[in-house]
Amino acid sequence: MGSLNNLREEDLLREAKIILKEKFGYHQFRSGQQKIIQDVLNGRDVFAMMPTGSGKSLCYQIPGYLLNGTVLIVSPLLSLMEDQINALRAAGERHARALNGMMHAQERIRVLRHLEELRFLYISPEMLCRSDIREALAKITISLFVVDEAHCVSQWGHEFRPDYLQLARIREQLGHPACLAVTATADERVREDIIRSLELHEVAQTIMSVDRTNIALVVRNVSNDDEKMEQLCKLLRTTRLPGIVYCASRDWTERLAELVRRQLGLRAAFYHGGMESIDRRKIQNQFLDNQLDLLCCTNAFGMGINKPDIRLVVHFHFPATMNAYLQEIGRASRDGQQGLAVLYYSPQDNQYPEGFIDSNFPEDAFLLHTLHELDEGVLTIKNKDQFLNDLQERGSSETAARFIYERIREKPAYQSFHSIFKRSKSMIEQRRRVLLNDLSIMKNYLTATECRRAYYLKVYHEDSHEKPVYCCDQCGINLADFDSVNFEDTVINRKQLMSWEERLSYIFKESERSKQ
Amino acid sequence: MTEKVRIGDDALMFSETLLLFLIKQFNGERTLSGIYHLLKGKKSSQSIQDSFLFRVEPFYHLCDDLERQSFQKLIEHLGDHEWIKYVNSEQTRVILTEKGMDKLSMFKIERMIPDGLRITNYVTTEKQFWLRLQLLIQTLSALRYQQTAFLPITKFPAVTEAVRRIIMESSLSRNQLVHQFYQEIRRLLTSIPILEANIFASQFSGYHMTGLTLRQISDESGKDLFECRTFFKAALRRIMQELSKNKSRYPFTALLMSPGVSGLSTTAGVSLRFLKSGLSAQEAAHRRNLSIGTIEDHLVEIALKDPTFDLSEYLTDELEHRIMDHANRLNTRQLKTIKKALQEGVSYFQIRLALAKNTVR
Ligand SMILES: [Zn+2]
Repeated sequence: MGSLNNLREEDLLREAKIILKEKFGYHQFRSGQQKIIQDVLNGRDVFAMMPTGSGKSLCYQIPGYLLNGTVLIVSPLLSLMEDQINALRAAGERHARALNGMMHAQERIRVLRHLEELRFLYISPEMLCRSDIREALAKITISLFVVDEAHCVSQWGHEFRPDYLQLARIREQLGHPACLAVTATADERVREDIIRSLELHEVAQTIMSVDRTNIALVVRNVSNDDEKMEQLCKLLRTTRLPGIVYCASRDWTERLAELVRRQLGLRAAFYHGGMESIDRRKIQNQFLDNQLDLLCCTNAFGMGINKPDIRLVVHFHFPATMNAYLQEIGRASRDGQQGLAVLYYSPQDNQYPEGFIDSNFPEDAFLLHTLHELDEGVLTIKNKDQFLNDLQERGSSETAARFIYERIREKPAYQSFHSIFKRSKSMIEQRRRVLLNDLSIMKNYLTATECRRAYYLKVYHEDSHEKPVYCCDQCGINLADFDSVNFEDTVINRKQLMSWEERLSYIFKESERSKQ
Repeated sequence: MTEKVRIGDDALMFSETLLLFLIKQFNGERTLSGIYHLLKGKKSSQSIQDSFLFRVEPFYHLCDDLERQSFQKLIEHLGDHEWIKYVNSEQTRVILTEKGMDKLSMFKIERMIPDGLRITNYVTTEKQFWLRLQLLIQTLSALRYQQTAFLPITKFPAVTEAVRRIIMESSLSRNQLVHQFYQEIRRLLTSIPILEANIFASQFSGYHMTGLTLRQISDESGKDLFECRTFFKAALRRIMQELSKNKSRYPFTALLMSPGVSGLSTTAGVSLRFLKSGLSAQEAAHRRNLSIGTIEDHLVEIALKDPTFDLSEYLTDELEHRIMDHANRLNTRQLKTIKKALQEGVSYFQIRLALAKNTVR
């Protein structure tokens, strides 16, 4: 590499740091970010694995200010898109938009009309597969092709998205811009899949540790639910908040929120998939806005949520995979301060993840019956949503319905539906084995007698590095160190105004108007 | 799951009484799903028609947030007290027991229900209106506090688009706009009972103050969730009525109301336009790419809500009288029973149409 090139590189890095400070308000790159940004600015294909909460979005947002053209970000999560655009707008960026299936046609037209003015365009994979949208995109300069949640491209992953397989071809049609593939979790098998499927060449890889050293890990064995609730209340009485309590069922989220509210007088609410979408949003916004101390939720909560000061993540029930666990506790203390993760384990809890695994797949009889109905013409797959809905009305879970739909879509047209039964069954067996294996890894974490951190690093084939001061219960931890009295938090205790006149006058800032 | 049975029976007094009342009105002629759909405000002509047939119009769409399981739990709760009993072996239809009758007679449902709930002209657009109103308030609050970004409480495209248009098309400055709107909302809330106004406004979101859910309001106030829903819907309906009656007093807020045939669902309204232009039901179905059954549903809805529309093409006077004779003689509103009595030559559609025409006062 010539010196001129080096000089340029230094300049770019300096520029990047200025943007980091001025636009985003950070003084320093976090580990991993700098190398990724440098590789991106040098026009390389980049694969980055960064744990949740380590600031992956900056890795393409900062280059957006230094490269010519539009950064295109493919993301499967609508909530994530929205959250990021919101964060960009709050940072003063007006040229960030999204294109997804949830938008009004009018809004879509407006976005397409101003395409070349955009610095950032978030797009869902299904939108990108539409030819009219691709044509419009082909007319502008794409400076960087970002694939977020890149593990969705792998059939090995639990979140495989067939649309993602088209991405290499689409990138070609858009003039082969450099590609940045990012994911929070991917084992070696999945990584290889990503690099191959996205056709990344001479790829620069940054694999960051899954370890979040600022989160202390505690597992508590209890004998039953009553003891669990007792311990939880004891913990919440003194520990630094805000916090999240993850539960395996909707029912539990409601029970715990009520318990905590009544017994401790905390501002607690519940959040789960059975609520009206507007109620879910309200609860989410209340939590983000410090109007709640505690949120009791199912795993439906958290995707795309960016709240840096969550201090405590409790698992009232343990999740089905180590991946999910790390993802969920990774929502604690994203600002780098000390966080705490507590998991309560009682032997009865084993039923939950096992039930969850079963609900991923249709039972034999149900599958057989569905295929039969398809052959008879009682059911059709002409309309995907209708089909998924029909199966759910017949008692299937949503994931099982999707599973059946995917199998049917793969079926050659000349074959009967019934013909795919055997193959589907063996696929279920295979996937179930993978999931059960994941589950046993998670369970071993709960019963491990070694350091919790060392255990999960081993799962991810990482070497143990220096232990943080607050490591885990096995290494010895005093929960009292996490009491709120030890911290000087400015308590923002926003009160809800219940009288309509007061509330209205606050919302419209009328009291100040009269003073003006 | 939601609405747990609380300690102390009076906490549930309202929902118990309401459910018992509805069960009495339905008198076992519809399944429990029928009652659930009524409360939920299912957009089927069957549910709309039922609300007229059984004289429970105010309760249609009373709680669009009601979960099936919560409803089921409440029914079980009534069963545990032996206030209701099943009348068929599939255990889908219930009536009141003597005990249930006694329990119900202790309360005057008329007194528990605020007048506002009885305003049903706008029921098909009330949800849309409510979402628009909340988003507009949130947006204007953000403007007023010069907040560059906020998480909207709804992303439903039709709502976002409508609110956007209202703000963009206004000729007032942003600041004036906010003030104008504040005054209109203030005027509207002053015109309704204070309890209703408080429950209504507690749900508003603004700068760093996200609105409460009805469930939270119920927890906060110690009132039964159904009671909160009732007061909320009463407020909403009063406000929509006031807006449509006195548009000129609320030039800005009135823009949130959807124009259209009063009380007809949007899709039935479109069908009505086609039919009025002289198309047959079959042709309208073809043009709209809908099934004939759907158009028939719309016709039933039209029969309920627009008595001026001529339906003789589908139902002769003579047939209508025959159907009503049987229905009255058998003292039932069950389609199957009526059809059986009439024997061949009469369709379910015609029976539904006749019943619909004859429930309109
Ligand atoms: Zn340790």
